[in-house]
Amino acid sequence: MKHIAPLQAAGEAVVKVPTRRTLAKQQTRAKVLAAARRLFSEEGYEGATIRDIAAAAGMSTGAVFANFTDKSDLFREIMLADMVALGEAMREAADRAKGVDDALLKMFSAGYAFYKSQLPLARAAFSVGWTPEEGPQLRNSEPSQQLIEQLVDQLNAGVERGELGQEAEVKLRAQMLFEAYLSNYKQAIFEGWSLDALQARSRDQIRVLLAGARRG
Amino acid sequence: MATETEIPAEAGLGALEVAQPPPLVVETGVRQSQKEATRNRVIVAARDLFDAQGYQGTTIREIAKQAGVSVGSVFTTFASKGEILSQVMQDRLDGLYEELDRVMPHLRGSTADRLCTMFSIHFSFEAQRMKLFLAHIAAAYDWTLPAAATPFGKTQRLQDIIRECLVKGVVEGDVDPAVDHQEIIDLLMSAYAWTYRLAVWDGAGADTLTVVMDRQINLIAAGFAPR
Repeated sequence: MKHIAPLQAAGEAVVKVPTRRTLAKQQTRAKVLAAARRLFSEEGYEGATIRDIAAAAGMSTGAVFANFTDKSDLFREIMLADMVALGEAMREAADRAKGVDDALLKMFSAGYAFYKSQLPLARAAFSVGWTPEEGPQLRNSEPSQQLIEQLVDQLNAGVERGELGQEAEVKLRAQMLFEAYLSNYKQAIFEGWSLDALQARSRDQIRVLLAGARRG
Repeated sequence: MATETEIPAEAGLGALEVAQPPPLVVETGVRQSQKEATRNRVIVAARDLFDAQGYQGTTIREIAKQAGVSVGSVFTTFASKGEILSQVMQDRLDGLYEELDRVMPHLRGSTADRLCTMFSIHFSFEAQRMKLFLAHIAAAYDWTLPAAATPFGKTQRLQDIIRECLVKGVVEGDVDPAVDHQEIIDLLMSAYAWTYRLAVWDGAGADTLTVVMDRQINLIAAGFAPR
């Protein structure tokens, strides 16, 4: 798929110094992505057109299409890059935690903090995420699966430490935690909930969803 | 994508409507029923199109064509595509909720059992129109959705039914009185939405959905049980 391209570019760079052409191409891509990020935030997914994005990036639509197949390709690339960064933020947050509840809560909070400054983009992502074509691509993407994997890891660590029982139904519970985490964006986006309010809500959700798995 | 044709029509037609002289009483009746007929045709056409090609993939122009009415007359009845979808769902759900209102008081068993039954009724009902329901969820995040529309998550009656279930559970002793009902409702709703997605993406049928949802309800039930 198209979005694997940066990785390949990075691999080539180890072997040989990038040519001026490659550099120029990378710069173009970066410029388009920055403009697209801004327009998706301002106009939503449907409202932002390739033509507007090209104009904002100061180039022709042809130049945009030379780098991205279509609008969904552009949007996906932005989303995937963000999810990778989000995964990093969550991992760091969980490393500082004590116990499974705290680790999950810190991961949730890291997520809300990450998107706090770009809620309109998050809103566009949710809208796109429910479409029959783009939804599965985003949800089944490697970075998205990695986020759930992190939740699985935390639950497994809880089982190992004896905080949770062996029968913890880790996979289903991780998925439900992830859905609960995502569902709170509705409050964040539409009702302007503060990070504190989101955190308080998350703490309760985590408690409820872990209750059946606790030992003793 | 779909939006280009929609916006300009709104303002102009609204103004036309106002500019007309007040009609006679008899004509009002005729006009009223014509408007009603148009509305119903638009609802039926929109329901089929949203279900076949999704919300984003459907334009107002297509809806008008399928309904056999002009784009302009669609806009005299509905302000936007989001509002049409909202109305389509509302009409459908009215039937479902009447059914549930009848059934719920007679259900026996634990709170979890009653919730399982309630959601399985939902799944068999929605199974006929899977994509339509997903469109409903997607529209909750739609840019252009008017404030009056009812996106998924704000369906008050479903939430009320769950709430009554929980209140009854408190009385019967299998729901912790200290538990925040709205939080449990939101957890159930997000589990419900996710399970639906499974259906459309993996092509699971109503039976599979019910099994997956039952597991989730029981997991949540462990969280609202008295300690």
